[in-house]
Amino acid sequence: MRSERAAEAVRTVAVRGQARAASRAPARRRWTLILVYGFLLTYLAFVLFPLAWLLLSSFKTRADALALPPRVIFTPTFDAYEKLFTAGILMPFGNSMFVAFTNIATALVLGVPAAYALARMQGGAKQHLSFWVLSTRMAPAFGVIVPIYALMRTLGLLDTRFSVTLAHLSFNLPFAIWLLMRYFEDLPVELEEAALVDGASRWGALRHAVLPVSVPMLVAVAILVFVASWNEFILAFILTSAEARTVPVLVASLAGTMAFDWPLMSAVSAGAVVPAFLLVFIVQRHITRGLTLGAIQ
Amino acid sequence: MLAPGLLALAAVTLFPGVYLLYMSVLSWTAFSPEVRFAALDNFRTLLRSATFWESAGTTLLFVALTTTISLVLGLALALALNEDLRGRGAMRTLLTLPLIVPPVVAGFGWKFLLSSDVGVIGAFLLPMAGIRVAPTGDPQLAMASVVLADIWSKTSFMFLISLAGLQAIPPFLYEAARIDGAGFWAQFRLVTLPLLKGVLIIAVILRVLDAINTFDVIFVMTQGGPGTATATFSILGWKIGFTYFDLGQAAALAVLMMVGAVFATNLLIRRARLAV
Repeated sequence: MRSERAAEAVRTVAVRGQARAASRAPARRRWTLILVYGFLLTYLAFVLFPLAWLLLSSFKTRADALALPPRVIFTPTFDAYEKLFTAGILMPFGNSMFVAFTNIATALVLGVPAAYALARMQGGAKQHLSFWVLSTRMAPAFGVIVPIYALMRTLGLLDTRFSVTLAHLSFNLPFAIWLLMRYFEDLPVELEEAALVDGASRWGALRHAVLPVSVPMLVAVAILVFVASWNEFILAFILTSAEARTVPVLVASLAGTMAFDWPLMSAVSAGAVVPAFLLVFIVQRHITRGLTLGAIQ
Repeated sequence: MLAPGLLALAAVTLFPGVYLLYMSVLSWTAFSPEVRFAALDNFRTLLRSATFWESAGTTLLFVALTTTISLVLGLALALALNEDLRGRGAMRTLLTLPLIVPPVVAGFGWKFLLSSDVGVIGAFLLPMAGIRVAPTGDPQLAMASVVLADIWSKTSFMFLISLAGLQAIPPFLYEAARIDGAGFWAQFRLVTLPLLKGVLIIAVILRVLDAINTFDVIFVMTQGGPGTATATFSILGWKIGFTYFDLGQAAALAVLMMVGAVFATNLLIRRARLAV
């Protein structure tokens, strides 16, 4: 009798407690949501504000750019962008394009067969080789600069597109081989076995069975190589001085001058951002996959 | 099939590595014709100089700050955007933007914003709030400024990796935890963290290596200054090698940086093995 009553009491308390918790749950959930959105939107503002401000400033006159309090409403002008053409600072854009595309071509042409061969290899040699490829990714960039600079100086190749291209391959080639190797490893072997049984060589199997299904991955790798090369600063900065300067080197040298032409610098920055943005957002799905592939595996 | 790729790889990676070691034992100043063998002199000079140890401290501080903050922020963003929220896709896309902005531009953008002469923040918002400072002119604030710009530039990477890691956790584990009565924090501690640990440690390794080598953001914003307040190893190495043109000593510093990076990586990997 007594225990029954006690059990009943416990039950009532429990039910009441649950009811209270249930009535509190939506309110709590709402607050959590507000907090989460608050955090996300604050961070988004932090991410977008500098970019928006650079873009805005690139359409200002120098007076507008220097005005305090800052002018959000002003008459837009294309002066800064015109200056890009008239001041003869378009060449870095050409250099950057050349270096990036030569890197894509070389990394893919050399990297695809090497990665494919590594992926289909068995045993200890494979372990050693793939560890070597990975370890080159870990080597500090600074360690590469000093010897490459010394070599290019000796060869008289300082301030040439060639030297920058070669320097960028020191990180892009292992990166491409590594990503492609992991990708080929996951590819079902049945695909190429059919071709091999039909008497195709390894090269034939690669060309006719593997490559056609790998186009999205090749595009992803190409874009990652492009971005890495396009954004790279210290190697290009040390290897070039005038003729072969890339876009980041131009940005840094403008930012370092005392004649602060903020709109021009903003326009150059905007121009430095646009090509990669276009490329990445055309094929956004592949790139996220590629990036996470490279990082996690 | 393997040969052309590996030969090229050897040419662009093995050669610099070996040549770097060789250079580090030379007394070699660019523009002077005399190059002689110096054994370990370069290392000795470096390890005995106050500048080196000061720079070591600066590097450690920079790496610790930017790695920790970008890890926490990236993980928090990934946790939030792994939930079924409205606008999730758009927010994910926008958060990856900094990844493709050249760090040089990120550095310049923040330098512009923080400038105490013309910047929206440095010359307008801060003075309005009654704070009159020059963010890149004061030693401590300069460090904070470069860390801020670096976090802006690199958190996206931590976010993407964390998100990919979160998406790989099978949902039934959360259901099981919920049935057992686990709340948000309990789920985070008992399911998310243990399963994400491997991914996070790899992310931290890559981030630490990247931070040790960070040059662009710091160079554009402060050039290592004011004084030597933000002169990390990369900045110091650039000064030694390319403004004093002491190539041998720059090579020695690069070798020490590599040893440090390998050491840090091994330490983290060992911890990862213990954890898994």
